Amino acid sequence: MRVVVADDAVILREGLARLLAEADFDVVGLAGDADELCRLVESSEPDVAIVDIRMPPSHTDEGLQAAKLIRTRWPQVGILVLSQYVQARYAVELLAQGTEGVGYLLKDRVSDLDELSTSVRRIGEGGSVLDPAVVAQLVGQRRKGDTPLEHLTERELEVLALMAEGRSNKAIAERLYITEHTVEKHVKNIFATLRLPQSEDDHRRVLAVVTFLNAT
Amino acid sequence: MWIAVFAVAAGVGAALLVLGSDRERSPVAVSAAVALIVGWAYVGSGLLARRQRPENPLGTVMVLIGFAWFATFLVDAGSSLVFTVGKALESVYLLGFVYLVLAFPSGRLRSSVDRALVAAAAVLVTVVELAWLLFADAHSQICSDCPSNAFEITRSDDAATAILQAQRTIGVLLSVFTVALLVRRWRHASPAERRVGAPVLWAGAGMFAALAFSVGNDILDHPLGQGPAWTRELVFASIPIAVLAVLLQRRLARGAVAGLVVELGGHAGSVDLRAALGRALGDPSLEVAYWVPAGSRYVDAAGHPLALPEPGDERAATLVERDGEPIAALIHDPALADERELVQSVCAAAALTLENARLQAELRARLAELQASRARLVEATDTERRRIERDLHDGTQQRLVSIAMALGLAESKLAADRPAVEPVLREARDALTAALAELRELTQGIRPAILVERGLAAALDDLSRRSALPVRLEVAIEGRLPEQVESAAYFVASEALTNAAKHSHATQVRLVAARTGDVLVLEIGDDGIGGATTGGGSGLRGLADRVEALGGRLTLSSPPGRGTTLRVEIPCV
Repeated sequence: MRVVVADDAVILREGLARLLAEADFDVVGLAGDADELCRLVESSEPDVAIVDIRMPPSHTDEGLQAAKLIRTRWPQVGILVLSQYVQARYAVELLAQGTEGVGYLLKDRVSDLDELSTSVRRIGEGGSVLDPAVVAQLVGQRRKGDTPLEHLTERELEVLALMAEGRSNKAIAERLYITEHTVEKHVKNIFATLRLPQSEDDHRRVLAVVTFLNAT
Repeated sequence: MWIAVFAVAAGVGAALLVLGSDRERSPVAVSAAVALIVGWAYVGSGLLARRQRPENPLGTVMVLIGFAWFATFLVDAGSSLVFTVGKALESVYLLGFVYLVLAFPSGRLRSSVDRALVAAAAVLVTVVELAWLLFADAHSQICSDCPSNAFEITRSDDAATAILQAQRTIGVLLSVFTVALLVRRWRHASPAERRVGAPVLWAGAGMFAALAFSVGNDILDHPLGQGPAWTRELVFASIPIAVLAVLLQRRLARGAVAGLVVELGGHAGSVDLRAALGRALGDPSLEVAYWVPAGSRYVDAAGHPLALPEPGDERAATLVERDGEPIAALIHDPALADERELVQSVCAAAALTLENARLQAELRARLAELQASRARLVEATDTERRRIERDLHDGTQQRLVSIAMALGLAESKLAADRPAVEPVLREARDALTAALAELRELTQGIRPAILVERGLAAALDDLSRRSALPVRLEVAIEGRLPEQVESAAYFVASEALTNAAKHSHATQVRLVAARTGDVLVLEIGDDGIGGATTGGGSGLRGLADRVEALGGRLTLSSPPGRGTTLRVEIPCV
């Protein structure tokens, strides 16, 4: 799988390249800012572009804007946005453009090589990945009045969070040490309680769940 | 005094010459009377002008014009030599006239165009006139009953006629050009310049127009017939009248000082001093600069520093002193330099009021300075916060992440003795991740990422979503605001929401933020028990300082039992 990395800190850019090479990714280019990244994506046609949010020149959200641009101009390229901080609103903005091949993780997650390579691969294959911290933010947001979330069980809330992270039923089952069948039952319950349209598709249900969490 | 006596004598002499002449010059009596009045008018007003402005050469120029005018009457003499000298001097008065009109009121020619014009006129009335006399036969060229031309070297009617026509043509062109120049000067003149120069400028333009018209009529052999002989004299005589009008106006302008005194005395404090001084001096563009001894500089009424114009600038300054100490400076049109008596009387009349206004301006200057220093303090603190956040974000946090990465890599490469090393590595990695999380909390407190990346509207939205109390949010802010305003407003909102959650027992909070014009208005109101103050450990005191340092205002309304409303206004400049 071909990957490009954009981060203005050399130490992270190089470190990430080393990690990804270790995990058998083909790192085809490194960029220090958003413009360079776009040129790189155009010339080397990677499967996934890994992008830091805050980059020169203004050190605000250039990386995020570049990510959105890449998703519009080169929709076949998967995007993994990395940041020192996660903002639920950025996740919503990214997913609003389509849930296929998009991810948003805290930079801290790169220390777990297995998790990182799983995430990059999932994105490269068209899946979506959201950091647990983003989901926690969404769930922890102040609710306006009554919310159907209050009618979910603890276990259902756990499943909801893992769904929002972009995990498949199988992955959720492994994580919670329950059977896939049980997961399916929980999912059905959750969608019914939240009055969300049922969806077999993992990607769509991420959007449905995140949109629900953000809106309520 | 002797000039006046001499002028009377010259005038009487000229009159006698005309009256005693045996040649026809009709109507003799009218000519003599007009000649006398015109000549004396020039000498008289010249003398008056010299007395008012001894250093200004124009008084002398006018006296000389008067005598040159009398000299033109030498042509009525019977003697050939006197007649010829009179003929040679016949147009010299026009040279003085050109100089007078162009150099009024300062006495200095303003540009190289002016100087070229005077030089051309000088050549025309001396060199060309003499050249003509060398060839002109008096009887065929001047008049049938004239004495003979004493300067004639060789008679050549063709040469004489050619020179005469050329002189007249150039004269007409120069006159028309001068009229155009004067009209242009009027259009570009400031109000003060117009007030000082108008009578002479218009009389001069009129004179040159009349001159161009009558000489043009001569060149074309009088297609309009012979005009009355004294028209030119009459227009010419309007100049000394105009000069007298200006001199008189200078005296009368002092009446404006009396008006100023009444105005300043009547409603001291409420009167617009700058406008009143401008009215008294006839210069609406007038500015007043007040002296601040502490800073050894001048400031305007609002206390902002002001630089005085240098000599040669487009503006001039007059210093006002009281008991030998500078109080203020009037910055005005340079045209007022010709009316320094008036300026000085106005300064004297307004000195006390100016001193009062100076004290106020000085106070405002100090206030402005204080405000600036507070703003600098906030700016410095903000810069420091920014530096710390950037250092942590770009340095420590990145480094920690890279260490975590290295540990992760080591962990995955581990082969031999895996069971023993793995838990150690994982422990180190977990500790690092925890450190990263703590660091993130810390930097967020210093400067929230969302505020840096997306600005106030997004940051307030985030804040309200995280609040422990339900928040009704109404934000109307387009785009980004100045960084200091954003961060002050954010921390006020954050503090207010925290206080509401901790102390108010409220069930709901309303957060309104809107930019109206150049002011950001932020209002946080709750439905709690009220009774909040900015004192004690509420943290609001520091935030109020911050807001005030940005030129804003923080007000707290918290009547017991009726909720707490915190309102902040910050100018966005």
